[in-house]
Amino acid sequence: MERLLNIDRRIIFAFIFVGVAVPLLIDFSFPIKPTEPVQRVYDEFERVASEDDPVVLLAFSYGASTVPEMQPMSLAILRHAFSRDIKVVAICLWPEAPGLAQAALDTVAGEYGKEYGTDYAFLGYKPGLWAPIINMGQDFHDAWPRDTQGTLVGDIPVTANIRNLNDFNLVFDFAAGDSIEFWWIPFGVEKYKFAFSGGCTAVMAPDLYPFLQSNQLRGMIGGLAGAAEYEKLVEIPGSATAGMRAQSIAHLIIVAFILIGNAAYFASRRRGAA
Amino acid sequence: MFLTRTLPMLLAFAFGAVAVLIYYIPHGVAQEIERELSLWLRILYAFAYFLGLYSILNLHWTRIQRRQGGWAYSGVAIASFLVMFLFVVYNDGAGPFAPQASAGGYQWMFTYMHVACSSTMFSMLAFYIASAAYRTFRARSSDAAILLVAAIILMVGRVPIGHAISEFFPEAVAWLMEVPNLAAKRGIVLGVSLGAIATSLRIIFGIERSYLGGGDE
Repeated sequence: MERLLNIDRRIIFAFIFVGVAVPLLIDFSFPIKPTEPVQRVYDEFERVASEDDPVVLLAFSYGASTVPEMQPMSLAILRHAFSRDIKVVAICLWPEAPGLAQAALDTVAGEYGKEYGTDYAFLGYKPGLWAPIINMGQDFHDAWPRDTQGTLVGDIPVTANIRNLNDFNLVFDFAAGDSIEFWWIPFGVEKYKFAFSGGCTAVMAPDLYPFLQSNQLRGMIGGLAGAAEYEKLVEIPGSATAGMRAQSIAHLIIVAFILIGNAAYFASRRRGAA
Repeated sequence: MFLTRTLPMLLAFAFGAVAVLIYYIPHGVAQEIERELSLWLRILYAFAYFLGLYSILNLHWTRIQRRQGGWAYSGVAIASFLVMFLFVVYNDGAGPFAPQASAGGYQWMFTYMHVACSSTMFSMLAFYIASAAYRTFRARSSDAAILLVAAIILMVGRVPIGHAISEFFPEAVAWLMEVPNLAAKRGIVLGVSLGAIATSLRIIFGIERSYLGGGDE
């Protein structure tokens, strides 16, 4: 029993490795059922699509380390937006984000034949955490005068008529830090009262439930599981759906190890008492 | 004394008080001040990157000079920075003053080295979490048992296999998130916010002075 309690961690690592690698190599699927917070994001984009000349602001607030979780989410949202002819303005509030945002925009715009300038624009990164949000709420062109190629935003058709954050039908933040909770909601949503939703890493999602209930956050996509649910809603399976196989098996392995550990713990305690 | 103590405290009071007040004043003058302060903040953050860059290069350079343990890694860090920097300046042949090219050496290194390495480091957490969960997640008390059961429900119910096993798991996850988690989180947010307000007021009114340095406060 002691051996089981002090199992070599390399055995656990080996199980996790096989549990992650094999499901990624074999094609099978589990039923994916969208949860309410993800459904609310989808409904928000559908609402936006039904409005005249819809345009959304997508803020990329994540870096390279969270790409496996966040990039599938960005791709799913962009596919939904472009498939419903929603125009997209993309900005970055995270220094590592421009390369990731550019890659996502190039990929999905290419899939849907969208043109830069008329269908979407990419304005790049600005430092200052929440300060650019305050500036965008006051005057968008003043906050982000040029795009990444140096073109004045007033000369780009998709941004020409945007005066401030309220002119977007929806603002959506992809967050790997505290940008939703501590930047967008206090300095943006509460101050300027615009429609706002967000996507975040799985570990952050529980922190955002109070804002979902208060409707300061109209919808939320949490982690790779949330991204897979969104892929299900837009009916375009991507890497998040594939990742759910590995994540499901890995979770089961961890639960099995926890149960085995507890069984060994109680057995050793009983033996010690006897 | 005036330059090191009194002036910073006066500036902290002036800017702190103004920043708090203008948040609640929709008048045009207040909005203009807020705009200016936000721009200053953005400029300060941009300069903070230079400070951070100096700090990390200095740290690694000192390690190399003193031949501290693992100094070769510091050499790799500085070399990596220099290579990336040179490719950013080269900008795929367009030079440092042109908009950043969407192709070229820097983009290649960012996508295939930086993103790959960062994602791998983050992904390795799964192995350590599994090992740590096995060793520490024991039902040693009733509190620990509750936490254990909640964690298992969450781990199973948050992934599609939970739906396949039983509808109980996703429904239980939704309840755990929307009731106990939400209540606890809201309490934490309120507590943290009240603490932040109290600390901010202490700084604005000069009661809290540790940010000035010196170590005698």
